[in-house]
Amino acid sequence: MKPSERIQVSDGSVIDPGFTQKVIQLTGEEVMTCFQCLKCTNGCPLAPEMDVPPNKAIRYVQLGMRDAALAADSIWICATCYTCSVRCPNDIDIAHVMDTLRRLAYQSQGDDTPKAHIVHFHELFLDSLKQYGRVNETKLLARYELKEGRFLKDAKLGMKMFFMGKMSIFPEKVQNKEQIKKIFDRASKRKG
Amino acid sequence: MAIQIGYFPGCSLHSSAKEYNDSIKASFGDLGIELKEIPDWNCCGATAAHSLNEALALALPARNLAMAEQEGLSLFAPCSACYHRFLLTNRKLCASEELLLEVNELIAPLDYKGSTEVKNILDILVEDVGVKKIKESVKRPLKGLRLVSYYGCLLTRVPHGQASDDQENPVYMDMVVEALGAEPVPWPSKMDCCGASLNITEEAIVCRLSSHILDNAQAVTAGAVVTSCTLCQMNLDLMQSGTKPEYNHPANLPVFYISELLALALGHDFPQGHWKKHFVDPRGVLEKLGLT
Repeated sequence: MKPSERIQVSDGSVIDPGFTQKVIQLTGEEVMTCFQCLKCTNGCPLAPEMDVPPNKAIRYVQLGMRDAALAADSIWICATCYTCSVRCPNDIDIAHVMDTLRRLAYQSQGDDTPKAHIVHFHELFLDSLKQYGRVNETKLLARYELKEGRFLKDAKLGMKMFFMGKMSIFPEKVQNKEQIKKIFDRASKRKG
Repeated sequence: MAIQIGYFPGCSLHSSAKEYNDSIKASFGDLGIELKEIPDWNCCGATAAHSLNEALALALPARNLAMAEQEGLSLFAPCSACYHRFLLTNRKLCASEELLLEVNELIAPLDYKGSTEVKNILDILVEDVGVKKIKESVKRPLKGLRLVSYYGCLLTRVPHGQASDDQENPVYMDMVVEALGAEPVPWPSKMDCCGASLNITEEAIVCRLSSHILDNAQAVTAGAVVTSCTLCQMNLDLMQSGTKPEYNHPANLPVFYISELLALALGHDFPQGHWKKHFVDPRGVLEKLGLT
């Protein structure tokens, strides 16, 4: 069997050995050394909310189960707290693997996930960064709340923070905005 | 002679965490630290960049690392999330010439060589200044203040390598707390995750995580929480704010930045309005101990 050959198994899911190789190549992590000790998932603060906990995500990668790995809500819920990474007895930076799955999912399906609102938040964040070189929290939050149709829900909190002096209305900008724009242009050509 | 350190405030220290910025600036001079802001610094990219685009996640911190290098400065990022992005980027770039070359193409004409040292606030207080000097500089010991040190995730959890402090049981913040004359209280949540930036997108998760941390602070009868991370401070404070029905944790515990307590102990008084930037106003606790 060639490593790139895709196999359809009895439940209809596809096994793609090329996916395993791709994740290994992108992360530089030795994912094949995982022996399912579950230290990652036992320590994961987000595991109760995850459909695919970290140990299972690694297993999907080992087995080449691309679709199952990239469709998981968990890759968006992962808070990148690195508990799994520092506890892995085989020194796999699992948070980096989750991060990489997120980026692969974003490249192939954009915001087509039940966790689309998290994708939107990241997109708006980078939008603000690209425009000013720094992130204006007030504008970012307002844009996000508008996009997700929850503006009134958080209005009280927003006003309170404004009067506490924790929100700046006028965005801070870097002087060399051209350079920031260039970094974004060059990085987008690199496809993540 | 003063130690010169490159200062990267980051976006939050200029808005939601202004009080962190103000208290660092108020106190560091007394300890012989001269902060030189990295000229024209940009956002580190945070969770958004490393979630969507790895090239950006490396290039955005690299631009700041390169500018610090040009000035011959180290890079001090008070926010734990910024610090972690810088530390990881720096280690990756220093480990691979090929990657360094690629990232330098992204940030050209800047050209990073890999010599900038990345520091967090506890590295500076414990390793550069030293607890002995802090102790000697204290003018108003924080006597009677029972503090739980909340380190959060990103200060010490460094994959494939060592952090300056222990990864599972860090002690640097407790050492500083003790040097300031307060009482560091042992507790089980010093490294628990608060949920970080999910507070905007997945409130229920952050409520569960942050409330558990506050429960544990209450259980050891702490008088206040101290932290060094802007997201940790925001989440724990917000959970007690009453600004939403879900944000109603009854602990009523002030959540200080370590630099605020440092400034207080060094004898600084904050201008009117400083403590209003906290949801749980710390003045009650401070007045009771005669610290204002």
